[in-house]
Amino acid sequence: MRSAGDDLLSVAVADPQTAQRLAAVLRDSDDWIEAVAGVNSVVVRFDIATVLRADAEKRLGIAAANIPEPDERQQARVEIPVIYGGEFGPDLQFVCEKLGLTRREFIQIHCGEYTVDMLGFIPGFAYIGGLDERLNIDRLPEPRQYVPAGSIGIAGGRSGIYSLPGPGGWPLVGRTSRKLFDATADDPFTLSAGARVIFTAVDSL
Amino acid sequence: MGVPYSGPADPLSMALANRLVGNGSFFPALETTLTGVTLAFNSGATLAITGATARCTLNGSDVPQHVTIAVQRNDVVSVGAAEKGVRSYIAFAGGLGADEVLGSCSTYLSAGFGGHAGRALQKGDELRLHDAHGISPGLETPAEYRLPMLDAWTIRAGASAETASLQNPQQLFDRKFTIASRSDRMGIKLDGHKFATSIDGQMPSVPVFPGTVQCPQDGSLFVLSIDAGTTGGYPRVAKIARMDLHLLGQLRSGNSLTLIERKEDDAVRELRAKHAYWKTWLTDIADVI
Repeated sequence: MRSAGDDLLSVAVADPQTAQRLAAVLRDSDDWIEAVAGVNSVVVRFDIATVLRADAEKRLGIAAANIPEPDERQQARVEIPVIYGGEFGPDLQFVCEKLGLTRREFIQIHCGEYTVDMLGFIPGFAYIGGLDERLNIDRLPEPRQYVPAGSIGIAGGRSGIYSLPGPGGWPLVGRTSRKLFDATADDPFTLSAGARVIFTAVDSL
Repeated sequence: MGVPYSGPADPLSMALANRLVGNGSFFPALETTLTGVTLAFNSGATLAITGATARCTLNGSDVPQHVTIAVQRNDVVSVGAAEKGVRSYIAFAGGLGADEVLGSCSTYLSAGFGGHAGRALQKGDELRLHDAHGISPGLETPAEYRLPMLDAWTIRAGASAETASLQNPQQLFDRKFTIASRSDRMGIKLDGHKFATSIDGQMPSVPVFPGTVQCPQDGSLFVLSIDAGTTGGYPRVAKIARMDLHLLGQLRSGNSLTLIERKEDDAVRELRAKHAYWKTWLTDIADVI
């Protein structure tokens, strides 16, 4: 456990699935203003006006030592058609150069079935794990100010789907027309942690 | 799910406006960004204007900020462009009618939901006011509770989870940064000094919050603001202290910003002191800042 700021505590966990389960437990408790899951950590914000840091640390420690087992619910499978490269994936060329792959090889490796690790960053942004090691690449040195909705980026061993337009720091390799967030729907989110996604290459959206 | 905190970028100024019209601190109100707004009233209303320094008029005659203003049908109220600071707040007795999404009336522009059709207001939009309960007495914010709008800001901050990865963490504090033009409700870029961390571009994404200061590989600091994403992959090298988060909403491109260091214990003590100071004017201050 470590501090992430005056009113923030971070606790390390093994994997994204464990982070999701711990965050869910923390959200059900009255002890925290917020609990947010990362890829391998959970951070809580607590009310420093009324709660002592030592007490918050103790409560978080107890929760982190008692994370519930996963439940074996059937998860949704969602196909994501992707146009790779060109104006839709403006970084695909330099990504391929950096990784020493042809465009065709990249697409062949990237297409396939994956599991959503978590949603985060912006509403509906999906962090998708299990990327082939040959596709390991860094984030951009400076984030883009504008990334169109549906853009698909890769970074740090994951794919990410930008559910909304906005800034973003992942090299962009393609785009999908599949909507991941709809504020007017009963359930605004197409994907959820644990869902399966299948990337398929298409020529037009 | 990645939905940001949202709401007023300067919650203290919004609470001050709501206070003057007899509302709770979080009743929906208008937030303007740099440009002002002109409102024509189809019915009587009670309102108050706070936040950025701006020329305000009622039917062409100057009216002060920080006072309760009663208007009649056919009156026109204008809030001019921000002269200092960035955001003005206009609160109405009873509160502004707004779309509620995910339990909040806040407008979240990137996703297009909340507030008024999920977007910034346009000329010709009609806004609805909720009925005010009773008549608001004319009030004025006491001088000591008017937030000064500045060119040079000092904000308290402390370490975050990856501060130790900085080559020289002490250089975060007591030096002037300049607010970059690339600044909005999501984040504020700081120019003037660059930093290097020992973390590469493949850090696993971590939770971030309004006030988290990120350091991307190019070395320019980003202070996340009220519409911050919920997770991010850049090292978290500092955190703005809770007590000063409300100031982020008024930092303007070209302003200077100096971070001054507060360890956790001092940040708690000074937050409680700030609450005690404000409580006589805003009883729910502990919910606001």
